[in-house]
Amino acid sequence: MVKNPLRKRYLRELKSDFGKYLVIFLLMALSIAEISGFLVADISMVAAYNESFEKYRIEDGHFSTEKRMSARQEEAVRALGTAVYELFYTDRRLTNGSKLRIFRNRSEVNLACVMSGRLPESGSEIAIDRMYADNNGLKAGDTLTIEATGESFVISGLVALGDYSAMFENNSDMMFDAKNFGVAVVTEECFREFDSDLLTCCYAWKYQTPPANEKEENARSEEFSKALHGIVSLTDYNPRYQNQAIRFTGKDMGGDRAMMTIFLVAVNVIIAFVFAVTVSSTITKESAVIGTLRATGYTRGELVRHYMAVPVMVTLFAALVGNILGYTVMKNVNANLYYSSYSLPTYETRWSTEALIETTLIPIASMLVINISMLTWKLRLSPLKFLRRDLKKHRSRGAVRLSTKLPFFTRFRLRIVFQNLSSYILLAFGILFANFLLLFGLMFPSVLKNYMEALPDNMISAHQYILKLPEGAVNEEHRLESLLQMMLFRKAVETENETAEKFSAWTLDTVTERGMKDEEILLYGITENSRYVDLSFTGDEVYISQSLAEKRMLEAGDRFRLKEKYDEAEYEFTVAGVYPYSGALAVFMSREALNERFDLGKDTFSGYFSDSEITDIDEKYIGQRVDFESLSKVSRQLDISMGAMMKVVDVFAIVMYIVLIYLLSKTIIEKNAGAISMSKILGFTNRELGKLYVLVTSIVVVVCMAGSIPLEVLLLTSVFRVVIRLRMSGWIPFILSGDVYVKMLALGLSSYAVLAVFEFLRISRIPKTEALKNVE
Amino acid sequence: MFLEMQNIRKSYGEGESRVEVLRGVELSLEKGQFAVLFGPSGSGKSTLLNILGGIDTADEGEIRIGGLSVGGLNEKELSAYRRDHLGYVFQMYNLIPNLTVRENIEVGAYLSRKPLHVDELLETLGLSKHANKVPNQLSGGQQQRCSIGRAIVKNPDILLCDEPTGALDYNTSREILALIEKVNRVYGNTIVMVTHNEAIGQMADVVVRLRDGKVRSRKENEVRLSAEELEW
Repeated sequence: MVKNPLRKRYLRELKSDFGKYLVIFLLMALSIAEISGFLVADISMVAAYNESFEKYRIEDGHFSTEKRMSARQEEAVRALGTAVYELFYTDRRLTNGSKLRIFRNRSEVNLACVMSGRLPESGSEIAIDRMYADNNGLKAGDTLTIEATGESFVISGLVALGDYSAMFENNSDMMFDAKNFGVAVVTEECFREFDSDLLTCCYAWKYQTPPANEKEENARSEEFSKALHGIVSLTDYNPRYQNQAIRFTGKDMGGDRAMMTIFLVAVNVIIAFVFAVTVSSTITKESAVIGTLRATGYTRGELVRHYMAVPVMVTLFAALVGNILGYTVMKNVNANLYYSSYSLPTYETRWSTEALIETTLIPIASMLVINISMLTWKLRLSPLKFLRRDLKKHRSRGAVRLSTKLPFFTRFRLRIVFQNLSSYILLAFGILFANFLLLFGLMFPSVLKNYMEALPDNMISAHQYILKLPEGAVNEEHRLESLLQMMLFRKAVETENETAEKFSAWTLDTVTERGMKDEEILLYGITENSRYVDLSFTGDEVYISQSLAEKRMLEAGDRFRLKEKYDEAEYEFTVAGVYPYSGALAVFMSREALNERFDLGKDTFSGYFSDSEITDIDEKYIGQRVDFESLSKVSRQLDISMGAMMKVVDVFAIVMYIVLIYLLSKTIIEKNAGAISMSKILGFTNRELGKLYVLVTSIVVVVCMAGSIPLEVLLLTSVFRVVIRLRMSGWIPFILSGDVYVKMLALGLSSYAVLAVFEFLRISRIPKTEALKNVE
Repeated sequence: MFLEMQNIRKSYGEGESRVEVLRGVELSLEKGQFAVLFGPSGSGKSTLLNILGGIDTADEGEIRIGGLSVGGLNEKELSAYRRDHLGYVFQMYNLIPNLTVRENIEVGAYLSRKPLHVDELLETLGLSKHANKVPNQLSGGQQQRCSIGRAIVKNPDILLCDEPTGALDYNTSREILALIEKVNRVYGNTIVMVTHNEAIGQMADVVVRLRDGKVRSRKENEVRLSAEELEW
């Protein structure tokens, strides 16, 4: 049996059109490499994070006391069925302006993972968090100096501490800050030298039998907390399931997989369409051969398989190379993106069948579905039609009538557009997609910049304080003591600051919506005739902040529900209006109504709005400060963690532009090679032909680039909303400044300008003999 | 009879623009006969060839080849019919540009369960020296020889030739005709050729003249001239 000799065409076809297949291959391999790298890094990192709890003996929680526990107290705590470990620390400001939380070397709990160098061995050495070091340009061997004392330490190594995978200085912070806050360990001897007055007496605990789930963890924590209050006076209590520094990372990782898969599908569908257009063009070119083969007895199926072979080969090869790159180079690139946001331990690369199937199946399936459909449709015609090169199913209704008043060249150009309509439509979709990616990449810094600029105007007051009752102040078993504590607290939180205005507050969670994070909503009880919040309330009515309205898509008249975090109680509210405040997801109601609704007592208040800093309240009573610094943390951290990713997106968008425009304009010129050649014979110059063919594509490109902007902005607004809704707590309004559009057009057009030169050269190279050829 | 066409009718278009191309054509040939179809442009000779080749369908009538009725075959069966029984040679050679001469011939061989030996055929075609060249390295005559090779390598029962010398000069045309004659003699294929060249009629067994979609005459030559003897 003779092997099908048509197979011999595959390699020759690849060789003869090497440029075309190379760029398609590169685009496909790059996108597969990126997604494969992302998936492998994500899966490996999530596994490393999950395993770190056991490997590095991560705490089940920690609490702080006003002073060191006595041996008897420690014994009493251990008797509750938990192991307790000292985790004392001191917060020191450094001469570089950042704050470092310094612990002693850990040997029993929250063990350090040494990322490079080693743990400190002498009193002058310190091992600092790897991410904090990266963000501050520090490395082993560098020196750190404490601002207040001038004491210096040499960095012996970089570490990751599992209890600080996200750098939340305080658990109540809206966002972590990996630049201005870090953690470090020093030797036992060195730690003893620190001023004991500046130490925080923190203790980590671990249950003897780990809780089975979060609900059980919650119940056990409450039980432990109650018992603990009877033993020691607490200043902080933070079980692991509530500890943002530990849990935030786990919640954040893995969230981008769906988005990356959509990206992979979109890129591959576009590439498959590009292949479909080029294969379709080949079929037109080879129609007489196809007619002859069909007349000789080749079946449609054999020809479909024949023309499918090269796209499938390129796709398979791209999947192979893409996955190899994904597992090697891109895995590290993506892992580094995680490492730039989170202080994660070292990881082992995990083989993922799921990732491999996804990054192989999606490209091949897109290629097969789109190209088989196109080929089956294209090859449905009879052999006779192919022999006659008449590839229209129905007889043409004739050329589109164009007014003779139009200049000849304009009519000529319009004919080129009509003739290549499918290519130009695909080009328009390609540009839309590439522009969308480019806009996505460029948008991010712009949105953050606008957010930062608008912050001062968006704040309720320059300073906002939310007070905190010291842990253990209220204990039902010690009522008298509790009453005393409350009286002390009320006295201690009064201020002389004349600009201060009291408000009451309550925190509720959003009711779980599919795919969305549960979020804390801060309910403000506003004093009547407030100088800071320009609202007047009637009865129980509530206003919501602009950010809550945008994030949850609520408007006046809508109803929404919120719930208590750890019990079943739910509350329903009706939106009376939207208050222009973007600093937090917040609800505003009268102080009286809030206190009554949550049974807080008529005169209760929870914090202050103030134009100037309040200095006469003890720090221990301040739970959270909301000022420019704390609000800008969100955008600063997003900039660090997503900035690099956005640059990758920009580069990919540019590559996408270039590949699409190159391939489609090449197809158009090749399709018209005969006509171009004949025009040359008739006396048209290369310049004139360039004006005809290159200009048409240029006009289409410019019109598509500019014309697609409104659609892209619309799409991006929705995508941005979805990303922010699904991926982050809080809200950043989507505001694009004009320079983003200018940058986008400039990048797109300059990429095209280079290609236009190539197009012109391609036209110039078409020989006059092309039109005279009568061989295939 | 090996090949029988009865009352073949074919029209194109509808309403006022309807054109009847074939109006009840009757034709029969014995196995191994060489038939030439003449007729002015529009007489329906190419249409008749296409219907015979299963790449066009008749509106009415019956076609039987070796006892097989072709008229009622569906698309898949028609492909199999072409694959098993037919070879096609066109005025344009329609060779695959990025395959060599040998490979272009193998394209035909692939379709047959018992193909002719490709090397022997290359020798017969006078293309042995050019076996590894691609079509654009060949002259028109060499390309047409290659296309004949592709058509006959599967040793078809019927070889259909549509103006095979239409694009060739005098000497090359004679070479091609000599080759077709040789194929007919050596392999015993039934050949149906459409041409405008009256001289070719002299080398055929049967000469059929079509006009206005009907067979106007059918003549069997008592003496066949060889291709070398033809003059025009």
